[in-house]
Amino acid sequence: MSNSSSAAVSERSPRLTLADRVDMIKNNRYFPIVFPLAMLAFLLLLFVALTGGEFMKRSVILGIFNQSFITGTMATAVAFIYSTGNVDFSVGNAMGLACVLGAMAYQATGSMAVMVVVTLAGGVVLMMFNCTLCVTCHVKPAMVAIVAMSIYSAICVVLVGAAPIGVEYETSKALEGGFRYGSFLLYFGMCLLLYHGTAIGRKLRFIGGNEKCAIQTGINAVKTQYISFLFAGVGVGLAGVYQTIRTANVASTVGTGMGTDVMLATVLGGMSIFGGTKSNCFAGLIGAITVTILNKGLLMIGVSSTMIQGIRGVVFLLLVYLNSERQKTLPSRQQF
Amino acid sequence: MSERGEILVEVRDLCKNFGVTVALNHVNMEIKRGEIRGLIGENGSGKSTVTTIIAGIQQATSGEITYKGKPWKPATSLEAIHAGIGIIVQEMGTIPNITVAENMFLGDYDQFRAGPFINKAKMIAKANEALRNLGIDDIEAGRITGSYNMEQRKLIEIAKTMAHDPKMFVVDETTTALSEKGREILYRLMRKAADDNKAVVFISHDLDEIMEQCDTLTVLRDGDIIGSLEKEEYEPNRIKQMMIGRDVQGDYYRSDMDGYEEEVVLKVENLTTMTDLMCFDIELHKGEILGIGGLSECGMHTLGRALYGLEDILTGQVTLTKTNTDIKSPEIAFQHGMGYVSKNRDQESLVMNGTIGVNIQSTGYKANRGLGIFISGKKEREYAELQVDSLAIKCNSIFQPVSAMSGGNKQKVVFGKWLAADADVLILDCPTRGVDIGVKASMYKLINDMKKNGKSVVLISEELPELCGMSDRLIIMKEGKISGEFYRQDGFDNTELIDCMI
Repeated sequence: MSNSSSAAVSERSPRLTLADRVDMIKNNRYFPIVFPLAMLAFLLLLFVALTGGEFMKRSVILGIFNQSFITGTMATAVAFIYSTGNVDFSVGNAMGLACVLGAMAYQATGSMAVMVVVTLAGGVVLMMFNCTLCVTCHVKPAMVAIVAMSIYSAICVVLVGAAPIGVEYETSKALEGGFRYGSFLLYFGMCLLLYHGTAIGRKLRFIGGNEKCAIQTGINAVKTQYISFLFAGVGVGLAGVYQTIRTANVASTVGTGMGTDVMLATVLGGMSIFGGTKSNCFAGLIGAITVTILNKGLLMIGVSSTMIQGIRGVVFLLLVYLNSERQKTLPSRQQF
Repeated sequence: MSERGEILVEVRDLCKNFGVTVALNHVNMEIKRGEIRGLIGENGSGKSTVTTIIAGIQQATSGEITYKGKPWKPATSLEAIHAGIGIIVQEMGTIPNITVAENMFLGDYDQFRAGPFINKAKMIAKANEALRNLGIDDIEAGRITGSYNMEQRKLIEIAKTMAHDPKMFVVDETTTALSEKGREILYRLMRKAADDNKAVVFISHDLDEIMEQCDTLTVLRDGDIIGSLEKEEYEPNRIKQMMIGRDVQGDYYRSDMDGYEEEVVLKVENLTTMTDLMCFDIELHKGEILGIGGLSECGMHTLGRALYGLEDILTGQVTLTKTNTDIKSPEIAFQHGMGYVSKNRDQESLVMNGTIGVNIQSTGYKANRGLGIFISGKKEREYAELQVDSLAIKCNSIFQPVSAMSGGNKQKVVFGKWLAADADVLILDCPTRGVDIGVKASMYKLINDMKKNGKSVVLISEELPELCGMSDRLIIMKEGKISGEFYRQDGFDNTELIDCMI
């Protein structure tokens, strides 16, 4: 054995590369909380600067607030599904169909209460259907999402037709006040408590981390995933109600593209859409505000809406790339 | 012409880190022609890291390697293979759904090119020839690799490496997957290569094997080279001491002859599963360590899974006698105080991206409740920290992900999870596989402690010494049936046990 010869290598631990340092920051346990807030603040300041303060106008902030309500509710809802590694991007269309069903129920009965109840129930039933396909019939979640997207949007078009279905405007605006704030706080608070305070969130994350291991640790993966879709269903229904009362009518295209907005909100919120043990249920809410600011801000500085789609795509890709874990070491030991 | 004893590969100041984890710390090593060099060390000591860098599978953080006197920095393993350095890795290195021949010449199909097509017949013929040359006659190169068992697939890998006629090759913990016959083939190849003035690096956890096969031996610990020994200097306790850095007693199994109680805790009646088991009966007693051994295909791993409700059962049942519970699913098994450690640790027993805490706490969602259904963060942290402390798991905090840990430490996390759950019946499938001596010794102590506390343990293992050392009662299986039952008080006789296996 020869001895080390040059003085340059005499320090004991080798120097960390930039990649190592980035990795250490990414793996810091406070990173998932700090990163999305930093993104939010950065975008806000950027657009305030670019629009010369226009961005802080009351109407703009109000618009962002109203839209964030819908996207945020949905993103909180899907966090339950995403945690287990099921990527369901049909939630936008599911919400759309729930809206349509709710609006039709209003048409039939003339009661806004019935509209709210039917929209909520619609969200739950549709998500349960998705869940059955994924969990019980073992169809890949992405497949289910693609199929569900086209089925739900087709049903919407058939049911609604060319003219949007209107609901009562006065009551809608009334509901946008106390009911919307109250129900949202109740739902979000409940999600936060159950996800982070009880075993539910931990089980979901554990399934997302390693389903086989979860099963061997006595977790009923099927039951737990049904619970996740149930929570998501309530959120989807609730978002549907907010959507309906915001415009007081439901068009056939309602909810189209929301699925991708929700995915974008999730990653902008600092959570991986592939789930796992670093998942949380508040990322979506922060991300929803960020994504709405991004949409609105780009629009205000004169970027065309087609370009915005493209920019969002690039941002999404970049974040997913940064988020996905690539193997640095040898593949893990396969035991025989 | 190259001379015997000439330095073929020289490693200087080699460092490798994975993030903050230092896997290799300024390692210097020379590999000479005509020798079989053994590498030995605990899990995470850097044996595989140094050899995989030489073989181009991964790159070093810093340091130099020279090969045949020239600087050597292979970008891929294919580059290394072409330059004459081959490796047989400890993980599975074959793709199951392509043919044996395609696996053997993976990434190297150009030599069989005929216009835009690949001449498969030629490839298969060449692969068959390579297999026969090694004395492997039960593998047909035209068949799909997945149709062969683990051992045969390992032999295919060996043939794959040897087909390129390497000047130096690394055998990385391969023998654990091989039977006596497979090992003979491998040992013969190693010896022949050394005689032909080539270099062989042999990595193994098996001290006897390494002392028998290697001309010289290098011991690594925590990324440092501790020292090298020539064949005449071999002495087991000295090597162990070098590996662990402190004195270890030669015997680390339990030494007592304590029996177990009459009470039956787990009963299997007339169990038939979709695969392997046929009308199987077995009973587990309170405070018993029940060893189950046999050849790896004998059905003992299926039995372990079936005991925990992980297998589809056709007839018969597994019953926990105390509550008369029928174990139909792992959920039921878990809720009634059972635990299971899979032999596929990384795939089944751990969430690799999860932290130590997340993994250990996974058994304590109920126990760690504070108010109503809400989990107390404090209780949960203590739940994990208690295990980290008592098992001496090497880590900075419970927030460290398990993926960066060494095999032995990972297994400690798995044990910690079940110790924390205070499982009454624990099914351990190869709990010490790929684990170094130091961790092994602590595992054995833990198993024995569990027994003393009145817990029952099913120990499934492919290692006879371990079974003999630990079991109160030892059941040998063959083709899904019990072929022999032995008791600790009678003493275990190795030849008798092996007779029952084959």
